[in-house]
Amino acid sequence: MSDEALVRIEDVGVTYGKGSAALHALAQVTLDIRAGEVTLLLGPSGSGKTTLLQVMGCLLRPTSGSVRLFGRPLADVGPEALARLRLAHVGFVFQHYNLFPTLRAWENVAIALDLKRVPVADQRGAAMVLLDRLGMSERATHFPAELSGGEKQRVAIARALAGKPELILADEPTAALDSRTGQDVVAALHDLAHREQCAVVIVSHDPRVERFADRVLHLEDGRLRDDRRAPGDQA
Amino acid sequence: MSVPRPRTPVAGTTLLAWRNLVHDRPRFVVTLIGVVFAVLLMGVELGLLVGFARTTSGIVDHSGVALWITPAGTTNVDIAGRLDERRRFQAMAVPGVAAVDPLMMQFGFWKKPDGGNESVALVGVDLASRRAGPWNLVEGRIEDLQQQDAVIVDRLYARKLGVRGIGDTIEINARRARVVGFTQGLRTFTQSPYVFMTHRNALRYSGYRDDETTYLLVTLEPGAEAESVRQAIARRLVTVDVWHTADFARQAQKYWLITTGAGSALLLSALLGLVVGIVIVGQTLYATTVDRLPEYATLRAIGAPAAYLNRVILKQAAISAALGFGMGTLAVYAIVALSTFANVAVIMPVWLLAILALLTLLMCAFGALISIRRLVRIDPTSVFS
Repeated sequence: MSDEALVRIEDVGVTYGKGSAALHALAQVTLDIRAGEVTLLLGPSGSGKTTLLQVMGCLLRPTSGSVRLFGRPLADVGPEALARLRLAHVGFVFQHYNLFPTLRAWENVAIALDLKRVPVADQRGAAMVLLDRLGMSERATHFPAELSGGEKQRVAIARALAGKPELILADEPTAALDSRTGQDVVAALHDLAHREQCAVVIVSHDPRVERFADRVLHLEDGRLRDDRRAPGDQA
Repeated sequence: MSVPRPRTPVAGTTLLAWRNLVHDRPRFVVTLIGVVFAVLLMGVELGLLVGFARTTSGIVDHSGVALWITPAGTTNVDIAGRLDERRRFQAMAVPGVAAVDPLMMQFGFWKKPDGGNESVALVGVDLASRRAGPWNLVEGRIEDLQQQDAVIVDRLYARKLGVRGIGDTIEINARRARVVGFTQGLRTFTQSPYVFMTHRNALRYSGYRDDETTYLLVTLEPGAEAESVRQAIARRLVTVDVWHTADFARQAQKYWLITTGAGSALLLSALLGLVVGIVIVGQTLYATTVDRLPEYATLRAIGAPAAYLNRVILKQAAISAALGFGMGTLAVYAIVALSTFANVAVIMPVWLLAILALLTLLMCAFGALISIRRLVRIDPTSVFS
């Protein structure tokens, strides 16, 4: 586990709307995300978990405070440069998988490789390696509609891993899965964090995910209420 | 590891663009129909324009001479005043001139064998030089025009003129005439068919004096500089215009296509086709884009630059343009082939095909703009909702 912070968030606040209609989604949040650990963001609906994830993923500018990615402040970075940062360093796993329905499983992964300018001739092989790592190589030529929820999420994780990002952000990755499949998916993310030395941040309602986390953050009403280390790797 | 070998070669935006199109086949078919319709409309209208242009200057283009001497103020080859044949000898005296041949052009009345009259354009040519003589002769011989009442007409107008074959007799301006040959595809913009005859016969049928003609066609000596000779003739002969053949052809085209408004009407129809194409392509591409907004938002969220998203849209437009252009061009060429037998020509030279391809591409690119504008405003955080 590295001590270097991949993401440093200092006194961050996010407010939607203005005046009396203003909604404070995040307030005075300060935290670091480090390589090689799985961080679990817990909290009830509307507590600001997804907003915090968007801030970490360079998708949302905070209203106040500062965000640094690899030590670089993001305050003055334009939308296209932010997209380049996401592409270079961040992998996303979404609650509803967000796979491209017209593309086969391996093509979904290959699109992410294409974005990272992997030569066309190498994309197929690289996609297959990623799918194989998640046990999905046998299903590579299937379209998303032909895959189960767990399989779709594994393809989505393979896509997120394309180009070896240092930070993987997963928004409710188990929400649409049954309990057993959900645990398999989180276990896979946990395994990746430790094997690849990348940082994994998981947003979840599900307390059963907790046993795969190295660190648990508890958000409530947009504020960080608890930040504790997990007792040990139980996965 | 047993890895199934995927069959499709990935090519990023191209693959995504193609799959987006074929995934919704009914909408793709509508897009293609729109492009084909627009290509057909633009192709036929522009082909008609070229056909009309060539028709208006056909006699000039096929004259085979360098310069035309016309009565002053002549605007087109079909309608002109008279020239005194003395001008011919004056022109021949100009250095650089090898030969000057007379050409008669005059409207006349054609009385069909079974009654009824048609307006025709009498073309009297000098048989010795054959300048501006009938071309594309498919029946008979040009030498047969030497007979006193001999005429050659075009097959396209045979029914209109009430003749079926060689030997049919009719009357021109109340004088007997006999068909001795047929050309194929010599159209006339005025819809008064060309009737070829000798210059002498044309004088007789038109009631001109023996020393009159309509045009003088100038052949240059080898090595003579056309512009210098043109200026020299213009200085020596008064009350005439002296044209380079290409300039006179352009003038004839300009007169009929612009002055009469025929060209504007055709261009307007072609423009209409372009607009219809832009609307159909734009509407269907936009609908496809809106359907796939979550996918574009996902691409943006995972780091795709805006240009990547735009490339997907533009490639969808380009694929639609290419397929629609291919099918539309086949339809245009079918009409070009059919027009061979009609008295209105649709001509599609390679340069016009290239322009049509460019217009189709621009049409689809414009159609894609509205989708691209929508993607500019896409919010990548929407993938979390």
